[in-house]
Amino acid sequence: MHIVVCMKQVPRDNSVKLNPDLSINADGIEKIINLFDEYAVEEGIAWNEKHGGKLTVLSLGSTEWTEQIRRALAMGATDSLLLSDPAFAGVDTLGSARVVAAAIRKLGDVDLILTGRNSTDDESGAFAPALARALGWPQITYVGKVQDVNPATKTIVADRNLETVIETVSSPLPAVISVIKDINSPRYPSLLKIKRVAKIDPPVWGAADLGISAADLAPAAVLSTRAPAPSRPKGEMITGGDAAAKVSALVDKLLENQVI
Amino acid sequence: MSGVLVYIEQVGGDVAAITRELLGKGRSLADALGGPLAALVIGDTAGNLPERAIAFGADTVYTVSNPALAGYTTDGYVAAAKAVVEQAKPALILAGASFQMRDFGAALAADLGAGLAADAIDVSVEGGQIRAVRPSHGGNVISTYAFAAGRTAVVLARKQSFAEASEQAGRSGKIEAVALPAAAIRTKVTSVAPKTGAVNLTDATIIVSGGRGLGNKDNYYKLIPTLAEALGGAYGASRAVVDEGWVPYEHQVGQTGKTVSPKLYVACGISGAIQHLAGMRTSRSIVAINKDPDAPIFRVATYGVVGDVNEVLPLLTEQLKARLSR
Repeated sequence: MHIVVCMKQVPRDNSVKLNPDLSINADGIEKIINLFDEYAVEEGIAWNEKHGGKLTVLSLGSTEWTEQIRRALAMGATDSLLLSDPAFAGVDTLGSARVVAAAIRKLGDVDLILTGRNSTDDESGAFAPALARALGWPQITYVGKVQDVNPATKTIVADRNLETVIETVSSPLPAVISVIKDINSPRYPSLLKIKRVAKIDPPVWGAADLGISAADLAPAAVLSTRAPAPSRPKGEMITGGDAAAKVSALVDKLLENQVI
Repeated sequence: MSGVLVYIEQVGGDVAAITRELLGKGRSLADALGGPLAALVIGDTAGNLPERAIAFGADTVYTVSNPALAGYTTDGYVAAAKAVVEQAKPALILAGASFQMRDFGAALAADLGAGLAADAIDVSVEGGQIRAVRPSHGGNVISTYAFAAGRTAVVLARKQSFAEASEQAGRSGKIEAVALPAAAIRTKVTSVAPKTGAVNLTDATIIVSGGRGLGNKDNYYKLIPTLAEALGGAYGASRAVVDEGWVPYEHQVGQTGKTVSPKLYVACGISGAIQHLAGMRTSRSIVAINKDPDAPIFRVATYGVVGDVNEVLPLLTEQLKARLSR
C-alpha cells in the first residue's frame, strides 16, 4: 500500500517577530518538523513496516526544507516529494489543501494520508479536513490510536481522542487521518541512516506540474491587522517572611481580589 | 447572502454555554449585517432545542433531523449543514471550537469554499465586512482577518470569548425542517467510550499545574491534586513532566497539549517555557510558585512566590482548606 505523510516545517519555538508587511519572521529560530507531523511520520513508518509498499513524506514549502524531509527519510520513509513554487508563498489552508490534493491525484495510487492534528505555528487544525474534502475522501481527525489498517478490505479503524470521550471510527480507504501527540513515540534516526539519506534531494513539483491556477490559490480571507500579543499587566511578587508568611499573604490577596 | 447562522450544541438536552455565547454575539453581528439570526440543529431529533435557541435570540431555527444523524459524522453533519446553508444563505456561520466542531467547521468551509477562522477570540462587522481575530504562534501573535465579500465566512469561536445571551421568555421565532440530502456517510462510529478519569481542562475555571520543580512523580500526586481539590479546580502539568511519564498527556497544558484560559491558573514548579506559556497566558489570574526568582513564569504571573514548591504547597493547601472551609 502507499501511505503519504504530510508534514510541515515550523520554528522550534514561537518567539517569532513580524515583518513590516505583517508576515511572520522566524529568522534565527531553528526549524523542525511540526511536532504533530512527526507522530504522523512515525505512525506511517509503523504501518509501512507491517504492510510494505511505499511511504512518501510530502511537504509544501520552500526548497530549503530538504533537511526536515531527509530526517523523515532517515526515520524510515521510502520516498519524498516537495511541492514548491513561488506562487505557493503565503497560501492559506484551503489553497494548500488544493495543491496537496492535486499532488495526491497525480501520484494516483495513494491509500492513506496521515498528518498532524495541527501545526504548532498556525494552529488552525483545518488542513486535514480541507485536504479530505478537496480529494472527496473520508476523514478521521484527532486520532490517538490507529487500531487497524487493512489493505485487503481497504479499511482503517481508529480511535479519536476528543475532550471527554474516545470515539472509535471505521472508514473505507483511501482516507485522511490526523493524529495527536500521544499516539506513539517517534524514533530517532540512526547516524548510519542519516548519512545514507544525506544527499537525497526530494523531487519538486510546482504549480505547472500540478495544473494549479491562480484561482485555486486565491485566499478566502485577507489579513488586515497583526500584532504581537499584548503583554500581561505587571504582576506582584509576594515577599517577606518565611514560606508560611508568604502563603498567608498570597491567600489574603487572592481573597481580597476575589480571585477565589 | 445575509445574516448569521449559529450551530447549536447541546448539553443534557439544553443549549450549551458556548451556544448561548454565540447566540448573544450572533444577535449583534446579524443586526450589524442587516440580516436574521438563524440557528442550526442537527441530530436524530431536535427535541426542544429549537425553542431554546429562539428563547436565546434566534429568529429562525433550521432543523435537520434524521436517524442517520444520531451521532456525529463529518459526512452526515456537513451534508445537513450544506442543505441549510443553501436555504438560509448566511454571510457568517458561527460554531464552537471543540475538536468535533473543528472537524465539522473545517470540512464545511472547504466544501463551501468559505474563509475559516478557527479558535477565534473575536468577530466583528465593520462597514459590512466580517472580521475575525485569532491567536497563532502559541498565542504570541494576534491576527485579524477580513473575509472576502460574497463568500460565506466560517468562524469557530474559543469558549468564554463572548457574553452569553440572556433568555427571553415568550420570544417567538420560526422553525423550519430541512431534509437530509441523500448523501453517503462513509465513516462509521462503532463505539463512544467516556474517558476514564477524564479531565476537561478547557472547561475548568481553576487549574493547578505542576512541573519539574516538584522533583518526582510522588511529590506531584501528593501535592498537585490536593491543592486543586482545595481550590475546587482541575489539575494540569507541564510538557516536561508529561514527557517524563509522571502524568498522562490528558493533563498537559501548553502548545502541544491543551490551551486553557481559566479564572485562576496556579503554576507550581513550572519554569515557564514558551511552549507552556502558549497554553495558559490568557488565564485571568496567574499564581506562580518557583524557587528560581528569574524563572520566565514570573513575567506572566499576577502573583509570584519564590520558594520551594515542596515546602510552599502543603502550607497553601492547608490555609486554603481552613479559609475556604472546603
